[in-house]
Amino acid sequence: MKIYNAKNEAASGKLVVADDMLLTKDMPTTAGSKMLEGYMSLFDAEALTRLYAAGYGLCGKASVGEFAIDLVGETAFDGENERDGKLVYAPAESIKNGEAIAAVCLDVNGSVRRGAAQSGLVSIKPTYGTVSRYGTIPVACSGETVSVLAANAKDCREILDVISGHDDKDGTSLSDDLCKKLKKDADRAEIKKVAFFKEMTDGLDEAVIDKMNAFRAKLSENGIEVCEIEDGVIAASRVAWNILMSAELCNNVSRYDGVKYGYRTENFNNLDTLYTNSRTEAFGDLLKTAILFGSETLSTDNYMKVYDKALRTRRVIADAFSKIFEEYDAVLLPACSKMAYTPSDVKEDKYISYHENFYTAPASITGLPAVVAEGVQLVGRAFSENALLDLIEKEEK
Amino acid sequence: MDRETLRKLEMLNQLSLTDEQKDEVTAFFAKRDAELEIINRIDTENVERMVHVMPIMTVVREDTVNQPFTREALQQGAPETDEGYWCVPRVME
Repeated sequence: MKIYNAKNEAASGKLVVADDMLLTKDMPTTAGSKMLEGYMSLFDAEALTRLYAAGYGLCGKASVGEFAIDLVGETAFDGENERDGKLVYAPAESIKNGEAIAAVCLDVNGSVRRGAAQSGLVSIKPTYGTVSRYGTIPVACSGETVSVLAANAKDCREILDVISGHDDKDGTSLSDDLCKKLKKDADRAEIKKVAFFKEMTDGLDEAVIDKMNAFRAKLSENGIEVCEIEDGVIAASRVAWNILMSAELCNNVSRYDGVKYGYRTENFNNLDTLYTNSRTEAFGDLLKTAILFGSETLSTDNYMKVYDKALRTRRVIADAFSKIFEEYDAVLLPACSKMAYTPSDVKEDKYISYHENFYTAPASITGLPAVVAEGVQLVGRAFSENALLDLIEKEEK
Repeated sequence: MDRETLRKLEMLNQLSLTDEQKDEVTAFFAKRDAELEIINRIDTENVERMVHVMPIMTVVREDTVNQPFTREALQQGAPETDEGYWCVPRVME
């Protein structure tokens, strides 16, 4: 749930909550890891700086799973995210209990979208490069995106408008000129035709199928054509994304060594045991496996056949989406396979987030925008955030 | 994934797994190996790698100081410091 409360002076104006992947200089930032317990940043994330400048306040920070690669925050070392036998997504709780109008979160492996779907909220993952990642804890830099979660599409748009825009401090932030050039009319085009992959709904819980069917029916009622198409290579997104995410994660968390900041073991007798015991004691099981997976992927033996293959597959997937968008305006996908996770789901399969991201990986690996509402996900053309939110606003009425 | 390869990976990443964790990681890798077939079925011959999802180039900017931090501020989160230096155990045995 919420793990840190902002000081009173920060908590004025319309309030938002940040997940613990965003740096804050007046509250600790842990990325859900014991490794960063008590870590204080010297600066704020750019997204928060922009919100403060626009008159918004931060009510506090919500817990996040260790480096945000889990389902909905269940691997956080410092937060409770279980209620009535179900896992709950902490940032969503602050919105549902009225503390914040929105949450600003880092979508690394789809937890924001799964959290939105299961909480009955709306989230928007913007096009990669349109919101600055400066001041976020880096994990999978080539696909992670600062995203917004709120009770409705209007609030999502309000916050997204404030935090979007070029930032010199982020090397992957798109310049205004490039944005304009690439955008064409994607942000204004109305969504009239939606594609739907039948194969990607196999194995879904009945409750999710009901949500998908209800949303499809609503689209049809509003005159939007929904067509079933073959998923082609899109279903391979998860495998390729898991490789790229883990490889990038492995590099990014190599900086945590117990020397310059963060957790340091008390059990060491030389530099090697200081490094090894600090990392072994501070990191959780899922993260350790992800590090080893990423490292193996980048090894001499596997670099070409695994990592390089995943990078080329990414392009094939991006091209497949481009082809789909020649005819359709958005793709309808589930955001998760069930409407609530239980602690036993994770107990039975510690690596469940590496499977459950089947539905979120397509937008992560391609950097495409995705909106989640009414328990389902719509992936749109690059820069079509406004069109996606327009559609959801229409559906909400 | 044999135990020797796993041991090397642990060493390389400065991690030390318990036997139970080693079994879990080995099972994870076995699944991963099977899943690789999914992308191996995709023809990527003559397809360029996609490192960036957007057409961004290496970004350069003027080499100017824009956010100076003091040594004290930079070391505020350090586990151990002494007279402005980070402390680590003896490197020379």
